[in-house]
Formats: sequence, structure tokens, C-alpha cells
Amino acid sequence: MRNCKFEELIDAYLLNRLTENNKEKLEKHYFDCPDCFNKMVERDELISIIKSKGDIIFKDEYVTEEAKGETWLEKITSFLTPKQWAMAAASACLIFVIVFGVIPNLKTTSPRFFINEDMVRGGSITLISPVFETHVFPSQFEWKKLGENIEYKIYIYDNGDVLWQDTTKENFIVLPEKIKKLLSGEKYSWQVKAFSPEGTLISVSSKVQFKINQNK
Amino acid sequence: MATMERTKEAINIEEICTKYRPIISFRVKKSLGASTPEWEDVVNEIITNVIEKLKKGEFRGESSIGTFIYTITSRRIIDYIRHKSKVLKHTPEPAHYPDPQEYIENKERAELMANAIKKLKPKYREVLYLYYYKDFSREEVAKKLSISPRRVSERVNYSQKLLKKLI
Repeated sequence: MRNCKFEELIDAYLLNRLTENNKEKLEKHYFDCPDCFNKMVERDELISIIKSKGDIIFKDEYVTEEAKGETWLEKITSFLTPKQWAMAAASACLIFVIVFGVIPNLKTTSPRFFINEDMVRGGSITLISPVFETHVFPSQFEWKKLGENIEYKIYIYDNGDVLWQDTTKENFIVLPEKIKKLLSGEKYSWQVKAFSPEGTLISVSSKVQFKINQNK
Repeated sequence: MATMERTKEAINIEEICTKYRPIISFRVKKSLGASTPEWEDVVNEIITNVIEKLKKGEFRGESSIGTFIYTITSRRIIDYIRHKSKVLKHTPEPAHYPDPQEYIENKERAELMANAIKKLKPKYREVLYLYYYKDFSREEVAKKLSISPRRVSERVNYSQKLLKKLI
């Protein structure tokens, strides 16, 4: 059976949600449409009873639940629509990626200048070991290699004064025994500078402190 | 011949009154409020007016009889409201005393209906609760229950069918 197009206005009419124009149309219509009128009367009765007796009809379930109040989860979830929640989650993910993924990789690096095909000036040297306090004397002092045919100068400082220095083309150096003995117990720092074959300074590491407590 | 014509007219008028009295009453109650004591008087006046106009031959079939009666009803309601607001603006409303028999019948039926609603499945009860008792819009109910607005209407309509069977 095909429903009358005015049927869907019945609820809105009875709940006073119709515009004046639609209200008038429906009122005129139900004078001519017994089906709509009967449905209207039935629905009106249902609504009146629910409005007047709803607290009794629903007291065991919804009314009691409401009296308890919404749970914190319901309050949070009803704060935004599902679409808004999805947008918020996507934005949070984007911010997370930017903060922890992109920004660390965007940190400013020192300018790099090409001296020849193999060498670049301006790159920093990363010192690998030793960098903290240690109880065992490291077998060698090590840093990250910058390229081929680069000469590295290693410096060990005691309170800013150069205590010892040496040169190598490797990315590590083994300290002589007499220096090893001197380095026990106190805080020292070390630094590596890189030079091109022509003797141009192309890179300098930061000064890193270390301490070797061999007695412990 | 003239008598037969009058009888036919009388039967038609009687049928019309029987058919349209509930519709006119509904319209009047909705407009004036069922607690307005004079609503039945207004309905009677409208029906009398309709009969008079029919007898005078004022209904010429240009519109449906329903529209003809609707127009008379609407005019009378507007007149009543105008008159009421002018004359009885500051007069307290007299209390409305419903017919005791009708009152008892309505009360019993309301009890039956309320019990029937309690017997419905939760998915139907929750729609009735939110839509009619809490006065949420159809879209709000749909959102709360994670169903479509159309589904809300379907559940309400089906609840009504079930209630008819239960009572």
C-alpha cells in the first residue's frame, strides 16, 4: 500500500515542529484524507500517553540511567560528532608526524661547500667513543668518517689546553701508553678536525668530555 | 419528489456530520487546547454552521466537501481566538470538568497503552523515549542510536502497529 505524502508530516505537526505553511496544508489535507486523520489520532494518543506517563513507562531504564548522569565517556563522545572526532584524530596524527618525524630531520645543518668530488666542507664530524664516563680505557678513539683522503687531527684537552694531538687518515686512533696513564681519573675533552689533502680545514667536531675511572 | 430530495439531503447532512465531527473536534482541540472548556461548544457551532450552509446550497462542489468544512472550521477558530483575546483577556479560565464516563475510559485506555509500551522490545522503547518523551528531533534520535532518520520513523510506525495488536 502506498503511503500518503502527508503522513511524514504527522509527527512534526503533533510535536509543533511544522512551519505555518505546512501546518495549514496538513490541516486542510486531513479533512479530506480519512487515512491520514486516523493515523494522526492514533499517533496523538500515543504521544499524549508517553508525555503524561513517560516517567512511569520508562522509569526502570532510561529515566534511571539519566538520573545517574552520563558517564564521562558518554560526555566526551557526545562532545563532538563522529565526523568531527575523525577530523580531530587526523589532525592529531598530522601534528604528531610533523613534531616527531619532520622537524627533527629539518634541523639546520652547517653549510656545505664542495672542494672536489670526494670532499665536502662544512659537514660536522660526529664523535663516537669515548663520550661519557667509563671504567675501561677505550682501545681506540673513534669518529664518523667524512670521506676518502681526508686527514684528521685529534686533540685531547685538559682544561682547554692541548694535552696531546696526533694526525691520522683513519677514522680512529690508538692512544700511546704514556698518554693513557695521564688520562686516568680526571675529566678531559677531545675534538677532531678534518683537513683536505691540500691542508684546508673542512670540518670540526664539537668538544666532547670524557672521564676514565680505571681504579673502580 | 420534494420530500425525497429533502430526505436525501438530510441523510447526506447526517452522514457528513457523523464523518466530520471527530475531524472538526480534533482540529478545534489542537487549536484551542483540549483543556479549553468551550471547545465542544465551538465544535457544535461549526457543525451547525456547516449544516446551515449546506442547506442554503452554499456548497457548490467547487472544492471538496472536506475543504469546505475545513474553511468554516478555520474561520470559526480564528473568530473564537480573536473574541477570546479581546473580551476574556483578563478573565480567569473556568475549570474544565470532563464527562466522568469519558474520563474513566480514557484513563483505562491510557493504562493499557502504557503497559503495552512497557512490553515492547528495547529498540522500539528507546526510540519512543527519545523521540516523544525527550523531545529530540528525528535526526538527533538517529545520531544517538547510530541509525538513519528513516529507520527512526520506521521503528516508531512499527511500534504503533505492535501497540495496536497488544491492546
